[in-house]
Parts: sequence; structure tokens; C-alpha cells
Amino acid sequence: MSEAQKGAVPMRPRPLPDEASEGYWQAANEGCLAIQRCQDCRRWNHAPSLNCPACGSGDLDFEKVSGEATLFSWTVVHHSPGPGFAGKLPLLVGIVELAEQPHLLQVANLTGCSEGDLHLGMPLHVEFERIAEDCALPQFRATGGQG
Amino acid sequence: MWALSNKVAVAGIGYSALTRRSETPLVQLAKNAIDTALADAGLTRRDLDGLATSPGMPRYGGAKGTVEGVDVVTPWFLGEQLGVQNRIAYTGSTNGMVTQAFIDAAMAVASGVCTHAVVYRALHVPPGSYVNFDSTFASGQDQYFAPFGFSVPPAWAATVLRRYFEMFGYSRGDMARYIVDNRANTQLNPNGYWRGKPIARDDYLDARMIADPMSILDCDIPVDGCAAILLTSAERARDLKQKPALLSGMAAGTHSPPSSVPMTLEDIWTGCEQVAERIWASSGMGPTDIDNAHLYDGFSPFVFLWLEGLGICKRGEGLAFLRDGHGALGGKLPINTGGGALGEGRLHGMTQIIEAASQVSDRCGERQVPGARRAIATISNGLTKSTGFVFSRGEP
Ligand SMILES: [Zn+2]
Repeated sequence: MSEAQKGAVPMRPRPLPDEASEGYWQAANEGCLAIQRCQDCRRWNHAPSLNCPACGSGDLDFEKVSGEATLFSWTVVHHSPGPGFAGKLPLLVGIVELAEQPHLLQVANLTGCSEGDLHLGMPLHVEFERIAEDCALPQFRATGGQG
Repeated sequence: MWALSNKVAVAGIGYSALTRRSETPLVQLAKNAIDTALADAGLTRRDLDGLATSPGMPRYGGAKGTVEGVDVVTPWFLGEQLGVQNRIAYTGSTNGMVTQAFIDAAMAVASGVCTHAVVYRALHVPPGSYVNFDSTFASGQDQYFAPFGFSVPPAWAATVLRRYFEMFGYSRGDMARYIVDNRANTQLNPNGYWRGKPIARDDYLDARMIADPMSILDCDIPVDGCAAILLTSAERARDLKQKPALLSGMAAGTHSPPSSVPMTLEDIWTGCEQVAERIWASSGMGPTDIDNAHLYDGFSPFVFLWLEGLGICKRGEGLAFLRDGHGALGGKLPINTGGGALGEGRLHGMTQIIEAASQVSDRCGERQVPGARRAIATISNGLTKSTGFVFSRGEP
């Protein structure tokens, strides 16, 4: 257990990788957004799973994506989600749609923008927030385009 | 059409007290609700031979209580506690929502496995904050949500509502009338948690934000309490004390969003439409056959999304229907006439089923829709685990 986890300040929950998601979080920790892709039907698949939900194939691999995304929806969280978020509220949470495929969605905190700037289709780019020595979260930054 | 349409009936209804935090143990609240439902039908515990529920505590993040009689009440435990364990021929317990247990119980009655089944939902509010992700690690689907502070269920609904607002040009002001009218309906419901506390438009507009645009008034309130519904055959119901409400059709949904997000507007539409297709096929009815609707409102946006999914409104027009008052008592299609879960308290869809059954058996007192013939109840958000039911008047 790291010093940060032992300390008095509660940490935000960190992802516990599993058999399907290990590659995703490992890539994120190395500063790379890699999404699972079916090697048979070529569909991108997120969250990762052991079989492709589209064709059933078990031949899935992580491939680096562009990191480009647009804003699909968002919320501004005021009610504390838990002890790890003290001092972080209100929190901008976006559902972002990755450029690679329609409805390829993921949850992220939004940076480089304020609540009033947000609009559907707003262009975003991935960045990584290190929350522990061995864990980084993919987050999304507004790229300043006009959407 | 479902071969057993109108063969099963709701013949009794019972509530315990619904309070925020009860001094009474949950098992006693469950017994109170069940005794009330039995007495309502003119029956006693000795007549009971079926019990069904979904016993889980729906807490997010923190530890879930599992103590029998305190945090949860399983049908096996309850049978013992009622002293009729040896008479119970059918027990149902689902992992989904309780309304799936309602489907199971209806089939148990229809097939003759039991004669008088009670479907109940006993809910206990855990100590501390209902939503509090205090674990160090987030596993399973939580790994994609909780590290980002996205473990507050109203925030999930907020992303649906926000997208809807942005796509169709609505704002919270358009939701205000429905919320205020719904609270007014609650004033006519003796079981309503918020009875005695009407609200005005500004109360809604100024309400505390949980996850913008979802305020505290867009969320049902967790309560300690239990609601119980007695099911029996339509034939048997005619000999009991109350007018029966006939179960004309029922359906369950199986549509899921991508597993990286809890819900999206588009997936909710698809899911509600799937449940709708199945419920209309099951009941042999369509949107214009319904004269009152009880649409799940654990979170307020689901109400108008069900209107759209059921085909009562087009996509994007459901909120206008509510904004213009068409869902109010006396409106085109009265919705959640007892105040729904927003007004009554969180009972995971029991509220919608009970109100639908009550309307078609003239049991709604001051909030009765005159001559209500057919009522629909929909539960959850249209996605997997959602259910829908149509109830019809049993006698002219
Ligand atoms: Zn595939």
C-alpha cells in the first residue's frame, strides 16, 4: 500500500483492473489511450470484455486511439460522491464520444473549460491525470475549437 | 396477446408507515404491510401461500447491509416471521427489481402453483449518506465511473437530462410544472411521504443541486417502509372484498447501453420502446387505449422518456406534454396520480403498480380518475431490469 493510501487524506477510488480491463489501465498508466478492438469484426469495444459484444469473437486486442473526442453529455456533480472528492466539488463529469466510432463512450472529468463553455459536440482531447504512483486516469481537455 | 391476459388480479394492497428512518425494525414494517394487504382483501395470514420480492439493499458505493429483518427481508425469513412458513407453496426472489418478482408471482398464480401471493418490497435506509463511495478500489463496472466521481446515480440521470435539454432546447423551468403538480397529487395520497408539504415553482427552481441539472426534487426520497400487493386469480378475486384490478399484460426489458456508461438518452429511448412493444403485444392494447399512466420517477426525466418510449409522445415532445399540464389530474392523461415515488417515497416501482391497480378499481379517493378503465405502470428507466404492466377494470 502506498503512502498516499495510508495517509489521513482519503484518495478517490482507484480502478481495480480485471482480466478484461488490465490492458486498458496499463496503457493509461503509460500515458496512452488504448481501446479494445475486435480483431475479427474490427469494432471498437468499451468497456473491455472477454468476448466481442458485436460478433462474439474472443480475439480482442488493445489498440491506441487518436485521443480525439467530442462531448456527448455532461453533469456538474455537487453532492459528494465519497470521501475522496473533498475539495474537488463541484466536479465536471463528461460522457465523451471517441472519434473512432459512434457511441464509443467513456466517462471522464473535463478540464480546460468551465460549466458555461460546455456544449454537445465540443471537441476534446485526452490527457492523463496521475492519481497514484502506478495509476493514471484518462481525462479530457477542451481543445478550444468552436464545435 | 398474452394467453393469460386478465386471468390474474390485484385483490389487496397494504402499506406500512413510510418514514425517513424508522424506529420499527424492517421485518415488522413488512409484516404490517402484508397484514394490511391481506385484510384489505378480506383474508388472513392462513390464506397466504406465495411470497415474492427482491430483497437487496440498493446502496451505492459503501457496504450494503444484509442482516435479515433489519436491512433486508427475504421471503423465506418473512414466511417464518408470519408463522405460515409451512403453508407457503411459492417463494420468489429476484436480483433485479421487485417488479420482476411481480411477473414471477403473477405466473405462479396463473399456473396454480399458489392461490394468494403477496409481492412486497421492504426498503431500509442505511445509516449515513445513501450514496457514499468510500472504498479505496472500484471494481467491475464501477472502475469506469467511481474514479471520476460518477458514482452518484442522480448524476447518471443528469447526463440523460442534460443531453435531452440541449437537443430539444428545454431547461429546468420546463420541468417545474410537473414536479409541482406531482407534489399536489401527493397531498391526496394518504401514504405519501411528502403529504402535508406542497411546493411551489420557485422551490423547484431553487432546489439544491445534486448533479446539475438534477436537483434533490428530481430524486425520490429513500424511506424505511414496505408496500405489499396481493395477487390472486381473477376468478378468486371476484369473491374477495375489493374490486379486482385485472392484469392485462406485462413485459420486461433487456436493452443495455455500452458497459462504459450507466445510461444514455438514446439507449433509454430504445429500451422504453422495446418494453412498449412487448407490453402492447402482451395486453393487445396501444397508447390510445390507456386513460391513466404511472411512469417510474425514481429520477424525474424517466417520466417523460417513458411517455416517448410508449408512443404517447414523439421523441423530444414528452417534456412539453408535462410542461403544458397534460399529465396533471384532469389533464389528457393523468400521470402518477398519487405523486409517484417522488411524492410517496422510494419503493422501487411498487408505487406505480399500486396506483395503476387502484385507479382501475376506483380506490383512489380524491385523486380518482373518473371511470378509469385501463392503466399502465412502467418501472425503472427502460433499460435491462425494466418492466411494464397494464391493468384493466374488472367490472363495469
Ligand atoms: Zn467482433
